[in-house]
Amino acid sequence: MIEELDWGLLVIGYLFLAGVGAGAILVSAFLTLGAGEFGASRFAIARYGAFIAPLPVIVGTAMLVLELGRPFRALNLFKLINLSPMSVGSWFVGVFITVSLLYALTFIPRAAGFGDRLNRARRGLAWVCLPFGFAMAVYTAILIGAMPARPFWNSPAIVLLFVLSALSGGVASVMLALAVFHKPGGNPAVAEDRDKSAHALGSADAMLLLGELAIILLFLLFAQLSIGSVREAASVIHAGGALAAPFWGFVVLLGILIPAGMEMGVIAPKLLSGKLFNSYRAVEILAPVAILIGGFALRYVVVVAGQITGPISI
Amino acid sequence: MNKDRKTEIARRRFLKGLVLGAGGSAVAAVPALPRTPSGRLGKVRYGMLIDLRKCVGCQSCSVACKSEFDVPLGVSRSWVEYVEKGVYPHVGRTFLPRLCNHCSDPPCVSVCPTGATYKREQDGIVVVDDGVCIGCKYCILACPYDARFLNPVTRFADKCDFCIHRVSKGLVPSCVNTCPAGARIFGDLNDPGSQISKTMARNRVSVLRPEMGTQPNVYYIGADHTEPGNVKRHEAGEVRVVTHRRDPERR
Ligand code: SF4
Ligand code: SF4
Ligand code: SF4
Repeated sequence: MIEELDWGLLVIGYLFLAGVGAGAILVSAFLTLGAGEFGASRFAIARYGAFIAPLPVIVGTAMLVLELGRPFRALNLFKLINLSPMSVGSWFVGVFITVSLLYALTFIPRAAGFGDRLNRARRGLAWVCLPFGFAMAVYTAILIGAMPARPFWNSPAIVLLFVLSALSGGVASVMLALAVFHKPGGNPAVAEDRDKSAHALGSADAMLLLGELAIILLFLLFAQLSIGSVREAASVIHAGGALAAPFWGFVVLLGILIPAGMEMGVIAPKLLSGKLFNSYRAVEILAPVAILIGGFALRYVVVVAGQITGPISI
Repeated sequence: MNKDRKTEIARRRFLKGLVLGAGGSAVAAVPALPRTPSGRLGKVRYGMLIDLRKCVGCQSCSVACKSEFDVPLGVSRSWVEYVEKGVYPHVGRTFLPRLCNHCSDPPCVSVCPTGATYKREQDGIVVVDDGVCIGCKYCILACPYDARFLNPVTRFADKCDFCIHRVSKGLVPSCVNTCPAGARIFGDLNDPGSQISKTMARNRVSVLRPEMGTQPNVYYIGADHTEPGNVKRHEAGEVRVVTHRRDPERR
């Protein structure tokens, strides 16, 4: 089915990678600007986010260029700017890559160094990264949402879903980096601080996943409550629909319910009884991997569903 | 071509049955666009009217268009769908010739990031500038009529262009020229005196997917708007649409 589509795996991969990059930079920028309960590991986590962010966007953009009928003409996108979401989006991507690379450069020295010029540059760039990170996450959804001819996509719910999925993908990528490169143990004070940070990331991620679930349910509910093309289009993800298996299996179960369950299992004891948070390495690795697979599956299901459905009248 | 329209048509009919390779006279025999009398409302707005009471589903238009532009195998600028419905003995088959609608509010234009797709100011024809198009396929997805495709040879977005090269020389489009049933009328919708405007004024016409808000400029007389989904309505009986395209479904 996929090779018959106008927008195939390369576009799907781009939408996913752009979301992860946008999410990673948002996590990093929020931390740099002082949000959340993070101790001494704040800088380390912000650093992971900053280093991760440009990579998926650059790789994804290269994939997108390859998907063009005429890849060597990609620069035509920058010869003018119009109101096409793709035109606006290409400028966003251009700025995002530039700013995120500069931002990552400010993280090369390991020490946080307060008050110095580097720190000021980092904070300044973080302020630029925030709106452009959101812009990236939002525009990837508006890109597909801008077409009334594609009823599955033409919905604000898709925008919210993509933004939350981008954020949770960003958090997941940072969590994964923390789990892999920032092993628990060692000095108890450092270890406790690290675990607290992992806990903060995990709770944020669980909230994002539950938000995604809520939006998916609203999307399905409103599709069901409408008549005509939207309802018909949404039926491809209902039981028996062409995309039911990847949607319920990979997006909902593997990408949302399982990682949210894992994270809740770890977070709940502290939430309920104030007991000390225990970090489980398996959860720290498996949950983000599941989230990232789910994030890709979400783009896959949405991009394919929009193309195999259409207006039902003639 | 400077003669008045009646004699022009009579002469055309006569010559059509005559020699084909007779040099100058064969060129003059090609049906011409009527000269535009004064009284037009504003600019030219080209449109097409397809009279399905006359259409015999012969696909001559599809073939003429294919050869006019050397359209590669597997894709079409112009095609004819068959709509078959009913349960024997109460059955029917109608035809629905399809092409770009040269919409007045074209979504393909509003999504094009490079400005390659645009609607011509002077006559409303929606065109793709293949010197600019990057082949991103956005317009292909945005068109509610599946009228566009990525040309597998040139790798640009492609579609019906109302035969600009012919129309600009005062000729009718190739599919109109070839239609043996005379089912297709091409002309200026802004000119109340044009054949298309006069026929539209006398008949009940419809456009495809009007709810998309695109305001198509391709009109039909007697179109059957039955969809396979209408099979749920029992009076339609069985409904089968043969698209005659690679994609067996309308999108
Ligand atoms: S029919 Fe499709 S390609 Fe043609 S003008 Fe309308 S939206 Fe554009
Ligand atoms: S494929 Fe070409 S004409 Fe279509 S939207 Fe992209 S650049 Fe514009
Ligand atoms: S007007 Fe020309 S390009 Fe359009 S369908 Fe007819 S022959 Fe093809």
